[in-house]
Amino acid sequence: MFSIEEARKHLSDEIGDKVLEFNIEKDTLVVSVPRIAIAEVLSKLKSSSILKMEQLISICGADYPTEIERFVIVYNLLSLSNNFRLLIKVSTDAVSPVPSVFSIYKAAVWYEREVWDMFGVMFSNNPDMRRILTDYEFEGYPLRKDFPLSGHMEVQYDEKLGKVVYVPVVLEQDYREYDTLSNCEA
Amino acid sequence: MGIISLHELNSPNISDVKPPLLQDALVTKLAEETRDKGILLAKLDDLLTWARTGSMWPMTFGLACCGIEMIHAFMSRYDLDRYGMMPRSSPRQADVMIVAGTVTNKMAPALRLLYDQMPEPRYVISMGSCANGGGYYYYSYSVVRGCDKIIPVDIYIPGCPPSAEALVYGLMQLQRRVRSENANKKVILKT
Amino acid sequence: MSAVEKDIEEERKLKPFLINFGPQHPAAHGVLRMILEMDGEIIERADPHIGLLHRGTEKLIEHKTYLQSIPYFDRMDYIAPLSQEYAFVLAIEKLLGVEPALRGQYIRVLYSEITRILNHIFCITTCALDLGAVTPTLWGFEQREILMEFYERVGGARMHTNYFRVGGVKEDLPDGLIEDIYAWAVKFPKFIDDLEGLLTNNRIFRQRTVGIAIASKEQAVEWGFSGPMLRASGVAWDLRKMQPYDVYAQMKFDVPVGQTGDCFARYLVRINEMRQSLKIIMQCIEKMPFGSVMCDDLRVAPPKRAEIQTSMESMIRHFKLYSEGFHVPKGETYTAVESPKGEFGVYLVADGSNKPYRCHVRSTGFAHLQAVNEISKGYMLADVVALIGSLDLVFGEVDR
Repeated sequence: MFSIEEARKHLSDEIGDKVLEFNIEKDTLVVSVPRIAIAEVLSKLKSSSILKMEQLISICGADYPTEIERFVIVYNLLSLSNNFRLLIKVSTDAVSPVPSVFSIYKAAVWYEREVWDMFGVMFSNNPDMRRILTDYEFEGYPLRKDFPLSGHMEVQYDEKLGKVVYVPVVLEQDYREYDTLSNCEA
Repeated sequence: MGIISLHELNSPNISDVKPPLLQDALVTKLAEETRDKGILLAKLDDLLTWARTGSMWPMTFGLACCGIEMIHAFMSRYDLDRYGMMPRSSPRQADVMIVAGTVTNKMAPALRLLYDQMPEPRYVISMGSCANGGGYYYYSYSVVRGCDKIIPVDIYIPGCPPSAEALVYGLMQLQRRVRSENANKKVILKT
Repeated sequence: MSAVEKDIEEERKLKPFLINFGPQHPAAHGVLRMILEMDGEIIERADPHIGLLHRGTEKLIEHKTYLQSIPYFDRMDYIAPLSQEYAFVLAIEKLLGVEPALRGQYIRVLYSEITRILNHIFCITTCALDLGAVTPTLWGFEQREILMEFYERVGGARMHTNYFRVGGVKEDLPDGLIEDIYAWAVKFPKFIDDLEGLLTNNRIFRQRTVGIAIASKEQAVEWGFSGPMLRASGVAWDLRKMQPYDVYAQMKFDVPVGQTGDCFARYLVRINEMRQSLKIIMQCIEKMPFGSVMCDDLRVAPPKRAEIQTSMESMIRHFKLYSEGFHVPKGETYTAVESPKGEFGVYLVADGSNKPYRCHVRSTGFAHLQAVNEISKGYMLADVVALIGSLDLVFGEVDR
């Protein structure tokens, strides 16, 4: 297992020219790289004889609407031989695609589909860019911060048509948002 | 009198009589009648409802957490087989559908399709708070707020998840309901 | 060959036979839908459609306080509920910098191992059920009932106990529970032997699993496998050993590793993991310290009942803790635990408020299911059932 400092040194050796920022979040090293370079960075990290990041654990997105490039995509890598974790971040906006990394890690296909489904971030060259979790006819990207919690449409059975149809959502009970925040220290 | 009132034996008022005892009493009475008179007379209604309460075959429709409790109800400890209830995988062989778990928007058409495939008379038990009305996932963008928006429901079982005992009780409640209903209402007899 | 015959030949080649497997299929272990492209009985391509149980948990968590979010984790992998809570609670603890109480840690380890057994019994026996063996299920579920009673006694619910808290657990173990767990743990190896007697050398079970759906070491690593799936392929990797959390570092146990990577190896790994879990349970019972089950950090620990009745400040703090909840300082973490199915991780982003800003759940089955296409290629349709059974899928977790 590397210490964070060692890992940082190795990372600078391998992909130093690509790194925008090193961060240490608790006990994990977080590296920000430019969007264009992500495929290259991951392939270097995977084939590196020192770091050996063999496994792609997950890809997930996060939405920060106040930023210009509002979506952050986090690649979670694990090296089984070194027992070492690494988070790699790229940022993007709603229109610029991120290069797909499925040719480096096969497992990336579904994770990228999930990010596409949830955030609407596109991945160029991904062979299978269908929605994965939401309904076949779903519209919108649910995990974006501006997407309402209860969505826009809901399903119900239509007796006349004899099938399940989409109708605008009507809540019998509104979402109870309590303003529980206070400025005194709990 | 050669008329046996099945209703008398099956009426909901004598619910404290355990089903096996009830059936024993019925069989004894039937045997006596046939021995004495060689003929049986009964109301068709009562006969039909009586027949329907025995061996209700539920369709396994384990969607989520409640599905696990449903499996437990069929397994050794609760053993629904004692009531002649066997899980059927095909809707065509089932009498009652147990909607056990969260129905999502993506699953809703499949749920309706399966319901439509079931032969009449068919009953639906909604198991757990998600199926009853959305429950913990009520505000979610992808969950149907109650499976009664998709299919008509006869019995609701509360709980998250309801214990296997609760499901057994729910099935017994369904039997009571079947006994008390007018058989012709539910089934459309074509001549 | 005439032109027409050629056309027919082309037609036959171009159009493989499509089978729609699920979403309501008894062997799908829930709501999996698979489109299988078949050449006769041989699978050419499998396209799993998931999301039929997508409940929007990640979005809902963003709208609930940390305390209110914990039960969502129960409902993700509903066969092993407490393991998921564990990951979330550990993630919050990491962000808050809270050190959980020692007794709380032991109880959590104890219950996470009980959960592991709970899960493995389910996985093995239902897999066997799909392959035609009914008895293991009937026997195994009786054991599950006993374990669910242990759940019920600490949390009040048979499945979704919501027992783990930031800083420890909700309540101490009730009197007599630890003795009952011990009494059960002494008897349990007999059950494992019986289960093995039913399955391990069962000719049919072997024919259905040995050499079926092999995932090589390289494939397992490449597709992001974890847990028993990875170990069955010959990679000795267990987060409890490699990145120990709570008191796992002090536990003595072995990590069973398979060699062949087929369905049978996965079965063997799970059987042996149950034996190892039992070892951990015994050590927990032995070493269980006395003391509080909740840390004394005032940010997360609720005041005691006696205090509430005498002190106004405690009353206010109690009210605040359960209405507003605690605030987690800005930061992010990825925390993973070795859940019975593999690596279950939570990527948690906190923005300083009382609600998570973003909570991504790294589910185990998602990665495993993705590989079905590659692993099942060239096997028969009936082998898919064995494969799905051995993957140990739970759709609450895959779809979230």
